Amino acid sequence: MGRPRAFDEDMAVRAAVDLFSSRAYDGVSVDDLVTHLGVHRNSLYKTFGSKRGLYMAALRRHLADDVRPLVNVLTTAPDAATVLRLITSADLGLLLLAVAERAPADEEVAAEVRAALGAVDEAIAGALGLPAAQATALTAAALGMLLRKSPESVGTALSQRLDLLV
Amino acid sequence: MALVRIDGDDLVVVIEGLHKVWALKSSLTIPLANVRGATADPGISAEPKGIRAPGTRVPGLITAGTFHLDGEKVFWDVRDPAKTVVVELADEHYARLVLQVEDPRATVALVENALL
Repeated sequence: MGRPRAFDEDMAVRAAVDLFSSRAYDGVSVDDLVTHLGVHRNSLYKTFGSKRGLYMAALRRHLADDVRPLVNVLTTAPDAATVLRLITSADLGLLLLAVAERAPADEEVAAEVRAALGAVDEAIAGALGLPAAQATALTAAALGMLLRKSPESVGTALSQRLDLLV
Repeated sequence: MALVRIDGDDLVVVIEGLHKVWALKSSLTIPLANVRGATADPGISAEPKGIRAPGTRVPGLITAGTFHLDGEKVFWDVRDPAKTVVVELADEHYARLVLQVEDPRATVALVENALL
């Protein structure tokens, strides 16, 4: 029997998404979480069990709030240019950090990001009628552009090439 | 200083040396099913610890034993806050253990991997 929580768990998890997407996992201390989330240390431990527990909640929240809607609009994308524009303008900060930093060290994170990226690939394959490998390649290219903050001309150059082929 | 190891389905915490005397406890065995996670947390030593009973507390020097805070019992054994790991429990006598360990990063990985 726990006492009612003295904080808004929903808001705290959303604030954790912002914090974990702005710096490395090891760079986020419990002090940082207590300060940014406005949650007492005891409540934080009682609710999430550990920093990792809170990180998993934040990652799943990011996938539900930011990646799932992207997947939904991708299923109706008419062409490669739209796919590239949608992905490169999406808020995928925590997903990208998780792929690079936590997935290699944490099986549960790896499984979550694999599923999320798989859903993106599938949406693209369905929308553009592409074989799975080509859809995956397009996701990879789009994420690369997002990481490199490539100008729109890069996406245009690629999609002109791709839409000729499709 | 505490030694943390996994023994079958249990988390075993052995309190070493004189810390046994200060903390009035030589070891704790917790079923992994009741362990919720582990976190390196150097900052927790700066927080209010609650009322000690029984144990030893010399502010700035050592915090060891059972502390009561917000209706929960917390077990402390810390001299060097930099090496603190917090182990959160469920359905146990203690709500959490605040332990000084040799290598916080390795201890966190050990416990978290045992929970996967």
